[in-house]
Amino acid sequence: MRKYVAMLIGAAVIAGYAASNHAKPVAAQTPHSSAQFTADGKLILPKGFRKWVFVGAPLTPNALNGGQANFPEFHHVYVEEKNLDAYLKTGSFPEGTVFIKELTRVLNPTFPDGSRTEPSGRGYFNGELNGIDATVKDSKRFAKTNGWGFFTFGHHPMPYEQTAAESSVSECAWCHIANVSKTDMTWVQFYPILRGDKLN
Amino acid sequence: MSFRFKLIIGALLLTAVVASPQSDEKKEPVFTKDGQLVLPAGYRSWVFIGGPITPNGLNDGHAPFPEFHSVYIEKENFRYYQKNGKFPEGTVMVKELSLVQGGGHSDGSIDSASGRGYFPGSLSGLDVMVKDSKRFAGTNDWGFFTFGHHAPPYEAVANESSSKECASCHIAFVAKTDMVWVQYYPLLKTKID
Repeated sequence: MRKYVAMLIGAAVIAGYAASNHAKPVAAQTPHSSAQFTADGKLILPKGFRKWVFVGAPLTPNALNGGQANFPEFHHVYVEEKNLDAYLKTGSFPEGTVFIKELTRVLNPTFPDGSRTEPSGRGYFNGELNGIDATVKDSKRFAKTNGWGFFTFGHHPMPYEQTAAESSVSECAWCHIANVSKTDMTWVQFYPILRGDKLN
Repeated sequence: MSFRFKLIIGALLLTAVVASPQSDEKKEPVFTKDGQLVLPAGYRSWVFIGGPITPNGLNDGHAPFPEFHSVYIEKENFRYYQKNGKFPEGTVMVKELSLVQGGGHSDGSIDSASGRGYFPGSLSGLDVMVKDSKRFAGTNDWGFFTFGHHAPPYEAVANESSSKECASCHIAFVAKTDMVWVQYYPLLKTKID
């Protein structure tokens, strides 16, 4: 019987080692960023961003913007937890930080301002998904635009583009440079979690 | 197959289960002895499923849920819903409220660089619903709780809200979709990888 017990312990040790090795993410060996680029510098649409940390959802309804908001209409903004934690500690985002802004339309407007009435009150509710924009921090690659690159994967319902070329300065970066260069090019004032509001 | 061999295989399987990655582990809701729900922790790292907004400016100054509603659910429960069209026992949904940034138009919107609209201001409250078909059998299996409609810190525990306060409206409108307003959350139908 002793032999069997020894064999069992041996098997358990081997299995435990194999399982713990298996659990280790491969990418943890090197500094990891969700920003992956093609050979010609296009950003590949990041995966899994819908389970990153959601930091806020401004809303610019088409109906309040002459029928055509620049970012129609809800803006759902996500960042990875490790980058959020680093920002809250240091006041700047680490190299390789990716922000995703996913747009959704509002749900079937009934008032001229784009709102509708539901049991919880009059307001705006999420409709169809409507596009992805991304910003990436890489101080070498995007040295000319304060260390951040800007990308859009389309402002339309899914499926989104799978890769995106860097947007021109006049499309995106200039507005961030003009308004939020002091807060690492990010509109932290719109996001209670980034702003450092007292949380629970 | 010998008994010895079966034992070894059993040990291997058991160890593999014990040592498997825990990243998707979901937490069960915690109740006090007298049935109060303990404020869930870590919900801002859960999956965000949508953020309706009912501005005070469009609701005679007093929206029932002022004003942005950011709704979160744990990843495992999200995936279960996508597969089965209903939420598993123990599901917790958290709705965190935030006010809009004021000082603009009478409807509550402001003008910003990205256009006229609504932008999150200070956090302003937390409501939670929990699925437990035994505990909440009287209200279609879900219990409703509020930890206050005010800035953090929120209450640490909450009593179940009366049926009139919360459940009645969910029963009237969304009983067929497991008591959740799935029509406002397109992300529930979307793959999260």
